Amino acid sequence: MGKTLLIGLDGATFTVLDPLMDRDVMPFLGSLAARGVRAPLRTIMPPLTPPAWTSLMTGKRPGEHGVFDFFQKETPDSEYFHFASSQDVRSATIWSRASEDGKRVISLNFPLMFPPPAVNGYVVPGGWMPWRQLRLGCHPPGLFDRLKALPSFEPRELALDMKLEAKAIEGCAAEEYADWIQLHLRREQRWFEIVRDLLQDEEQADLVAVMFDGTDKLQHLCWRFIDPAFRPEHPSPWEAEIIALCERYFHDLDAIIRDLVELVGPDPTVVLASDHGFGPSSDVLYLNAWLEQQGYLVYADGDDASAPDEAPQVGFSQMTRHVFELDWRQTVAYAATPSSQGIHIVRRAAGSEVQMPTETYERLLAEIAAGLLAIRHPEDGRPLVTDVRLRGEIFRGPYEELAPDLTLVLADGGAVSILRSDTLVRTRPEPTGNHRPEGIFIACGPSIKVGAWLDELSIVDVAPLLLYSLDVPVPLDMSGRLPEEAFEAGELQRRPPRFSAGGEHDQATPPEGDVVYDSDEQELMLSRLRALGYVE
Amino acid sequence: MTELDQQVFGDVLELIAELSADWEYEGPVGPDTRFLADLGLESLDLVVLGTMIQHRYGQLPFAEYYAEVGQRPVAERDVSVADLVEFVCRNRTLSTELT
Repeated sequence: MGKTLLIGLDGATFTVLDPLMDRDVMPFLGSLAARGVRAPLRTIMPPLTPPAWTSLMTGKRPGEHGVFDFFQKETPDSEYFHFASSQDVRSATIWSRASEDGKRVISLNFPLMFPPPAVNGYVVPGGWMPWRQLRLGCHPPGLFDRLKALPSFEPRELALDMKLEAKAIEGCAAEEYADWIQLHLRREQRWFEIVRDLLQDEEQADLVAVMFDGTDKLQHLCWRFIDPAFRPEHPSPWEAEIIALCERYFHDLDAIIRDLVELVGPDPTVVLASDHGFGPSSDVLYLNAWLEQQGYLVYADGDDASAPDEAPQVGFSQMTRHVFELDWRQTVAYAATPSSQGIHIVRRAAGSEVQMPTETYERLLAEIAAGLLAIRHPEDGRPLVTDVRLRGEIFRGPYEELAPDLTLVLADGGAVSILRSDTLVRTRPEPTGNHRPEGIFIACGPSIKVGAWLDELSIVDVAPLLLYSLDVPVPLDMSGRLPEEAFEAGELQRRPPRFSAGGEHDQATPPEGDVVYDSDEQELMLSRLRALGYVE
Repeated sequence: MTELDQQVFGDVLELIAELSADWEYEGPVGPDTRFLADLGLESLDLVVLGTMIQHRYGQLPFAEYYAEVGQRPVAERDVSVADLVEFVCRNRTLSTELT
């Protein structure tokens, strides 16, 4: 049986890849898709990197695996958030399940892998893994020193630099674009060279997985140079240079994918998947500003209108500052991060034991949702929020109480800002890229159908497929299913999948629960609700 | 310094020594060394360091601690090795007492 190779392409979308394959900018990817199957891959809601990759790795949805955002609520009633880490992943992953079954794995650049789990093989974490700590993220101990001996090893360019990450989201000066794109060209090559080195081991890996995230970064910042529908008709010399550099990135990535497939040996099963899709985006909705206007959120320093400058920003570097910016005696709803596009309801005031009655809570949710759906763009009157989903609808599972109470879907992939502002909506002068729910799935291998376009798959279907490919039992408690339609007729009869009950490796620690009432605190809660007009 | 303080202090120093070689930092590291001003770390580095310390010592209220640090005047938004050790010891002791 050949190896299983998983190539993650963060944020990849057929909107971008199809024209590149058609024009032979990515000839290998085109041939791979033609020799296998392809399908749109529906991600979880919201389409966001940490929970989405975790869903791919576990075959479960966020309420079941416990990861909702880059930052995690400490407890259901806490206003504090901590940096999401592997300790927040409450379900077994493809890495741990394969290891338990005696398989050897290589997992490179996937998020939520720090501190590194003790798998049978190698882990170099990705996501928000700062380069200064990369040594601590490598498994097994000693791996970092082995990698350090590689001529191309440069942790500063391999792992996260927060300032560079911010540029993808908040934008950067025109003269910085070229260097920034070239950094991602080098970065993907560095990850490839690590795989190449690890594959020289005598003991070969059964599952080789590497994630490339330059796709996400470039699409955020350079969407208007990547999507043919948005490219300038008559580009300036600078625009032409950026268009060419973006195209070169995808061309080089194609060569890396080709070399990886060749490197893993004969007859591999190759799976390419993205955590979410991408599309153009222009509007930024200042969500906390709206909540403040409606009286749901109160800043501790009153009316200090320290509004951001005119350039729209989502508040990337301001995440979780709500803890000391808000007046917790008066605030009942807030957005902690722009990424989750979510609103948390304060059901219990800071230091209080009194919880908002369920009936009031539900009325508050309905009122906020209705208000959000009624927001109109100030210039053309179109709705900005197309849907508002309740926590119980999209995050059902043992960890749902850690998720936002409400999650927004913005029109045209709009972004949320958590910054203070006297303006509710700002429009970026040039469209950028933002996440969409429809990602990509391509698979190719000895038992995979040839040239088939499948109906949409779910991101949680990828884990069962990978486990089947590895001949590891597929847990029955996964939300995903084994996509039988991807395989040649008779393959599943020839090699029937093995199943297990599941749950045996999960860290079942549901969040803390409920309430104790006290008359003084009850009065405090009532006074807050009175101020908002909820009780007489 | 209690025995526990010494043990945690030793662990933290060892951790920083292990990492700082990768940062090309060659200066001395002691109780007064500040993570941001002296070692050149960024705030996310501190957060990730906290994650690793929790991995060794169990759950600690780092989110609250960093929120408190973030609230200070800009010039005082830093953490020294001694501050971190004191935080770990204080909260680790508490959690031990509670269990």
